Amino acid sequence: MRRVAVIGVGVTKFGLHDRTSAELFAEAAQDALTDAAIPATAIQALYYGNVVGGETEHQLHTGPQAASVLGIPSVPTTRFETACASSHAAFRHAVMEIAAGVSDVVLVGGAERVLNVSTAESTEYFAYASDAVWEQPLGLTFPGVFALIARAHMEKYGTTEAQMAAVAVKNHRHGALNPKAQFQKQITIDQVLRSAYVADPLKLFDCCPFSDGGAALVLASEEVARRHRKPVWVLGSAAASDWMLLGDKRDLSRVPATERAAAAAYRQSGLGPRDVDVVELHDCFTIAEIVATEGLGLFEPGAGGRAAEAGRTSLGGEIPVNPSGGLKAKGHPIGATGAAQIAEIVTQIRGEAGPRQVDGAKTGLTHTLGGNTATVLVSLFGRD
Amino acid sequence: MTESPITARAFFERVRAGQLTALKCGSCGELAIPPRQLCPACHTQAWQPLDLRGEGTIASFTIIRVAPRAHAGDAPYALAVVKLREGVSILGRLVDIPLDKVGVGLPVRFRPLVIGNQATVGFGPSSAA
Repeated sequence: MRRVAVIGVGVTKFGLHDRTSAELFAEAAQDALTDAAIPATAIQALYYGNVVGGETEHQLHTGPQAASVLGIPSVPTTRFETACASSHAAFRHAVMEIAAGVSDVVLVGGAERVLNVSTAESTEYFAYASDAVWEQPLGLTFPGVFALIARAHMEKYGTTEAQMAAVAVKNHRHGALNPKAQFQKQITIDQVLRSAYVADPLKLFDCCPFSDGGAALVLASEEVARRHRKPVWVLGSAAASDWMLLGDKRDLSRVPATERAAAAAYRQSGLGPRDVDVVELHDCFTIAEIVATEGLGLFEPGAGGRAAEAGRTSLGGEIPVNPSGGLKAKGHPIGATGAAQIAEIVTQIRGEAGPRQVDGAKTGLTHTLGGNTATVLVSLFGRD
Repeated sequence: MTESPITARAFFERVRAGQLTALKCGSCGELAIPPRQLCPACHTQAWQPLDLRGEGTIASFTIIRVAPRAHAGDAPYALAVVKLREGVSILGRLVDIPLDKVGVGLPVRFRPLVIGNQATVGFGPSSAA
């Protein structure tokens, strides 16, 4: 298999936009092409993530739509939908296309627009990622899924609401250093703990926001990448799935798909959790970050809450997690999230992250979770 | 080309009639909530329907305060993953249990529930409680 590198990244500001998701993608994609110093004519395929376009924009067929708006209408496109992990899934397939020798340059992207509909509508559409026959009719929501995980984690390990709040405070502190972040303001533990319950024990400030935004990556074969500045190599990329129904998950305090995807990505790269310098992971809710740090092997099961509270995952800590601000502060345009996480890790490994730079970051990891924890992707990145 | 012996539709018709039903693998004994084509443990298709007693305990729970549009009038309401005595678990809506009395380990009993004309799984107080 051929080596694959990321040679260009682009991310829009996350938050409220008055443009379509295809326009948001196209802005990010042009930035990625400029960053890669490669012409649009070099692109041989587009792998694209978009989740609720059919609901919020009445738009299916979003792959060619995105390619058309960018101005590369003739390249083959495929739209990926693995809930919130969509553009990370798109990325993994693009890596395989290049590694297999089918293409030399592939564009990966994702975008989402949800702030053009009401919170009640988007809450309903996001719930479509849970089972339509067994779970949606009960009134299950996305925060509800992670609230069930949080309660199980609290029961099993004694994790506290204050430890979860520490994740939100840390990610807002990081987000305040990121000009692309939806929220660039710090918050306090007290503010999190006093915010209203959305799905007990999760409160408003435990939850990431609804966001519009786009992200794009230019991937290239080693031969092409060698001609570009600072290629960041894909050292491993793995996907795993798990049961859809919450009742079928054996232990709600863990996310087995994270553990399986991480094991596979570590095996591909020959690296382990101790080798990782910086992590962008899926903190759709504060408890999700705690469980992910355990599933990725950064901390023992049950130790993630205490680690967050002790500052071990902060910028300047032993393993900085979500220097971008994470989904919590940077925002979570679900189709764009996986690609945006990779863009951040590439920026960190290049040493170009400015005030949120992790000193000496050479190896980075991204983790993206889909919906009810039934999809997880983990990828590892490094430099020469 | 045989369908699961209990389809989703059949499962909820039984729910409406007051019965929770699982599948038991005739080959290895694995239990599953239907529909399931193949046994995830031994990958054969030897399912037999198994009537569940409907008794279990709360494994985890949440109180939904911001609900999807169709359920907004019900909020706040509690959802729980219930571990049934036979070993399978299922998500259900809690009914007739005060929200401040809900806790992990609380014994509950299956209660057929119709939400928006759709039969679904509910759990109420255990008769032993």
